Amino acid sequence: MPKHYRPPGKKKEGNAAKYITRSKAIKYLQITLPVFRRLCILKGVFPREPKKKVEGNHKTYYHMKDIMFLAHEPLLEKFRDMRAYDKKVKKAVAKKNRDLAHRLLTRKPTYTLDKLIRERYPKFIDALRDLDDSLTMVHLFAALPAVESERIQVKRIQNCRRLSHEWQAYISRTHSLRKTFISVKGIYYQAEVEGQKITWLTPHALQQVLTDDVDFNVMLTFLEFYETLLAFVNFKLYHSINVKYPPILDPRLEALAADLYALYRYFSANSRVPAVESQAVSSSGSEQAKTEKKGTQTDESELRLAQLQHQLPANEPGTLMHLVDAAAGEDDDDKETRECKTLFKNLKFFLSREVPRESLLFVIPAFGGVVSWEGDGAPFKEADEGITHQIIDRPTQGHIFLSREYVQPQWIYDCVNARIILPTDNYMVGRVPPPHLSPFVDNEAEGYVPEYAETIKRLQAAARKELLPMPGVDKQELDDPQNLLVEGIISRTEANEAAEKKRKMYDLEKQHHEQLKMELQGELYSASLSNKNMQSSVEITETREEFLPDLEQVVEDAASMSKVLMSRKKRSLYEAMQDLEVAVYQCGYVRYCRNFYFFFLDSLRRVSPPALLKN
Amino acid sequence: MVEANESRLVKAPKEKKNKKKKNTMSQSTAVEEPQQLETNSPLVDKVLSENDDTERESGAGEHELLEDEEFVRTGNVELSNEVHGLEDQDEGVEAHQGVEESDSSEDEVAPRNTIGDVPLKWYEDEEHIGYDITGKKIKKQARKDKLDSFLAGADDAKNWRKLYDEYNDEEVELTKHETRLIRRLLKGSTPHAEVDPYAPSVDWFEWDDAKHPLSNAPEPKRRFIPSKWENKKVVEYVRAIRKGLIKFDKPKEESQFYLLWGDDSSSTDKAAHGLSYIPAPKPKLAGHEESYNPSKEYIPTQEEINSYQLMYEEDRPKFIPRRFESLRSVPAYDNALKESFDRCLDLYLCPRTRKKRINIDPESLKPKLPSRKDLKPYPITCCLEYRGHKGAVLSVSVEVTGQWIASGSNDGTVRVWEVETGRCLKIWEIGEAVHRVAWNPVAELPILAVSAGQDVLLLNTGFGNEENQVKIKELMHIEAPTAPDDSGNSPSIVSWVQHDKHDGITLKHIKSVSSVEWHRKGDYFSTVMPGDILFTSDFIALKNVRVYDLVKQKLVKKLEAGVREISSIAIHPAGDNVIVGSTEGKLCWFDMDLSSQPYRILKCHPKDITNVAFHRSYPLFASCSDDCTAYVFHGTVYSDLNQNPLIVPLEILRGHTITNGRGVMDCKFHPRQPWLFTAGADSVIKLYCH
Repeated sequence: MPKHYRPPGKKKEGNAAKYITRSKAIKYLQITLPVFRRLCILKGVFPREPKKKVEGNHKTYYHMKDIMFLAHEPLLEKFRDMRAYDKKVKKAVAKKNRDLAHRLLTRKPTYTLDKLIRERYPKFIDALRDLDDSLTMVHLFAALPAVESERIQVKRIQNCRRLSHEWQAYISRTHSLRKTFISVKGIYYQAEVEGQKITWLTPHALQQVLTDDVDFNVMLTFLEFYETLLAFVNFKLYHSINVKYPPILDPRLEALAADLYALYRYFSANSRVPAVESQAVSSSGSEQAKTEKKGTQTDESELRLAQLQHQLPANEPGTLMHLVDAAAGEDDDDKETRECKTLFKNLKFFLSREVPRESLLFVIPAFGGVVSWEGDGAPFKEADEGITHQIIDRPTQGHIFLSREYVQPQWIYDCVNARIILPTDNYMVGRVPPPHLSPFVDNEAEGYVPEYAETIKRLQAAARKELLPMPGVDKQELDDPQNLLVEGIISRTEANEAAEKKRKMYDLEKQHHEQLKMELQGELYSASLSNKNMQSSVEITETREEFLPDLEQVVEDAASMSKVLMSRKKRSLYEAMQDLEVAVYQCGYVRYCRNFYFFFLDSLRRVSPPALLKN
Repeated sequence: MVEANESRLVKAPKEKKNKKKKNTMSQSTAVEEPQQLETNSPLVDKVLSENDDTERESGAGEHELLEDEEFVRTGNVELSNEVHGLEDQDEGVEAHQGVEESDSSEDEVAPRNTIGDVPLKWYEDEEHIGYDITGKKIKKQARKDKLDSFLAGADDAKNWRKLYDEYNDEEVELTKHETRLIRRLLKGSTPHAEVDPYAPSVDWFEWDDAKHPLSNAPEPKRRFIPSKWENKKVVEYVRAIRKGLIKFDKPKEESQFYLLWGDDSSSTDKAAHGLSYIPAPKPKLAGHEESYNPSKEYIPTQEEINSYQLMYEEDRPKFIPRRFESLRSVPAYDNALKESFDRCLDLYLCPRTRKKRINIDPESLKPKLPSRKDLKPYPITCCLEYRGHKGAVLSVSVEVTGQWIASGSNDGTVRVWEVETGRCLKIWEIGEAVHRVAWNPVAELPILAVSAGQDVLLLNTGFGNEENQVKIKELMHIEAPTAPDDSGNSPSIVSWVQHDKHDGITLKHIKSVSSVEWHRKGDYFSTVMPGDILFTSDFIALKNVRVYDLVKQKLVKKLEAGVREISSIAIHPAGDNVIVGSTEGKLCWFDMDLSSQPYRILKCHPKDITNVAFHRSYPLFASCSDDCTAYVFHGTVYSDLNQNPLIVPLEILRGHTITNGRGVMDCKFHPRQPWLFTAGADSVIKLYCH
């Protein structure tokens, strides 16, 4: 009898009964593969890994319960109906019954996904948790061209654009944007909505490349779900701030592709929550409306009327209630939101035409700034006296207003990440801006802190008006890491850090002394610096050598000592983890060395010409 | 002619009316006609000439026809006359030549324009319009300006008949005939007055003698009753409309979005299917290297980029950092769509499983050790070195009082040192490598047992006071070659011989002796030869530790260390705990009350443990190994049986160097102080103090 022999009439058991391969599942459900894919995507059913792969290793397994879950989905029946309907149309066309075909086509059966969304995300917070992918996808499609051959329709692209703008408007309005990052892939944003960190990526506003190794059917199915999800989420979010959804936008602004600004206007007009900056925006807007919009006065009033009509039922409880709400809303803003709200307060920005307008129109108001741009429909013109910063991204600027600062767009993003107003010197026109660092990286865990991160840290501390210990000051508090280690007060990593610090301190001191000495001798500093630098670098390594063996020994001993007492299992686990850490640490160390190397090169470059002349 | 016309009145009443009206109408038409501009005059002429032709041909026709024809002709004459004469005058026959005169000349004359059928716009700016047959340019006529044309209009009364033919670039003057035609066309009637639109139909078929009609079929019923199928179709449609199957208004677009998540607190229902939902892991967030403007140290050098090419496809980094000088120079990301698609694939194709991953700080795995500060004193630093041996020091032994140490070395000497000064007091030349030295544990009898080669020597060190010396002398003296002890039992194995040179006793064994150990009371000692144990001993070990009862002379216990090979053993002064060192660097602590399994195994040395030692009074023990280190541990044994011994590693002592692959050969504690002696293969003995 074979090993896995199952007598006839006996039920399957275990993994064989619990899991089913994909092809069997398709047969079981009596559907085609594309429909199965569609269902899986919409229902969020994914393969699961059985403990034992009964049918073979190279197959995809679904859990039987998942498949039963699909089998009872009303959508499955709906898909069948739609297929039958399509056949009807096809038949009518084939019989040249154009009238019937046309009539059938106009009332094709459709399906809605609201039940599915409710099922997949029983709570709103669940939906927020899963929003990252949908936001990224919708933003990507908002930037894609409509391609008829790939069935990417203009309507969907526009819908994606609308949804993304609605989302951004909400985030901006509630000041819940936390981090931004310009990467090569696009611009990352991180917002915090109801305590959930939501990160999404928007592509750069350029013509996107359509590759042919992408199955658009799959992507469009995902997009379909994501669009619906995002729309419902937007509805809920708008509802939470007492704004009607979907918003009715000023058609003029919409036509000028200033959707985001139109949405802001809508917010400020529609929501009764009085907020300082929204008033600022609206007041500037109204000024402008007076001057510019005389021609479109009638349209405007019609729009207002429409908006008012829509607004009326929502406002029934009365303004008093709203005021109470508003007061409560102001109170329960957490500290971070308040910080974000006031970052660009009292600053007025103007965007040049070459900077990414949509992104900055989103980011600046999210942090409490007032912004305008070059082009039609802008709230204020370039010549406005109140503008404090002009964002430009060109090699030179012809006409310069002395009352404002001209900065590169990176300044905004760096300010936002650092949560302080950074000095603009480095970001001036024509300069290469300082490195743009990712706010998502935990530098300590990475094992390497870039130079500019430290600069920013210092600036932040300065902004908070507290003194961060400068290198060389904190000598007393950690006198000797070795002693501390022996005492068992500090852990190994701390000891490492302390040792490193001490070493750095020592280097700095040494350099400083040397410089002082040279100055005393009245030598030309720069001339002798180049060879000094060489020496010092050598010395540094030497001192490092000097310092470390003793200390390292102690550190190592301490580590191995506690390792001795561990059980074998724990010890191997610990060693494995240690290896990982070492890898990370090494990565950081490589960066550190490179940075030092660059610094060295730079200093050489800076000083070499006079040095050469001297020689 | 009028009468003839009269006879036809019955058949064509309209015609008569027409004829009667003629006189009255002609005036009014003449007023309107000149406004018509687009009249094609050649065509009109053609019609005219054709009319003439038909007149001639059908001259011999029927009577009625002829009459009709005549009428046509008269009409024709009338019209041609009108062309020549004034518009309002209805004239007679004499202007017959006019018809001939107004013969279309333009049919024969080629158009002046030779550009063909191309848009005139192309020649708008040129001064010529095409080329003539000789290849010369046909010049455009000078265009009149407005003033000229106005003056011309004022001067010339006929100017209103002049038209500018844009195509041929010339001015055409309309003839009267042409104006008449235009006028008629404007009115909506036929251009030529003589055309009769209501001519009576002529039945050319002769019915008179025919017996049968062409078709004798009765009129079908469908000709006079409404269609049944049409009716059915209509009913069907009506019903469909009534039922609402056919709707004429477009389905209105209503917002399908509503407040999906009303009150979260109420919806606590779990997912419908019992399987746990595994949320997809979020994509990794971008690091510094993905920045459009990363710091310099993140950008790989050219060599590094080249080296990526040598890597395997899957090992290559997916993303190579790049640096852009400004934001405007950042291009669109090529893989945006691809990456998004990959994410989609991951989401719906990748099996998801929960992998348990330990997300803890590795430091937290380490056991919490009591502070080492509280466990002082213990040896920390090397404070003395005893140098003098030429070879590796294999063994060291401390005298009970702690004043002297003896050491045996590879170079065949046994030395005795003063502990506090490091002075070498005595040297015995044994001649063979000294494996082990051991002081007699009785303070009064400072006798040294030395194992070297096949011999065990008992040496009188000469320390102690006079009484003791006498006693020792007595003991060490052997008269007969046969020993009193156990000569009867094993004369073949051991022979006691008085050593002449060093004032001691030699026990000659048949095999080489590897170890010698004194009983605690100092009365007995044991020697170990590979293969069999000569004398009774408490513990015997190779793979397992066997515990013998010396009094009953039988095996009491077997301790399973679970290590490969036991190299050394030490017994706690209280006697219930044993530590065993193994050649794989493991140290086993046995609690003999607990079990025969080790209470704790400490993996401390990467190499062989050469020796282990307990301190006699302090709760310390040490192990030394070939890796040149010696570990000092704290080991408290509690009198309470419920409490397990406390073991804390305290210090790693270094200082020896590896010679011939061996490190520290032996370690011994000072009997009273927390000091540790280590004997190294580098011929140095070190003393570590607290």
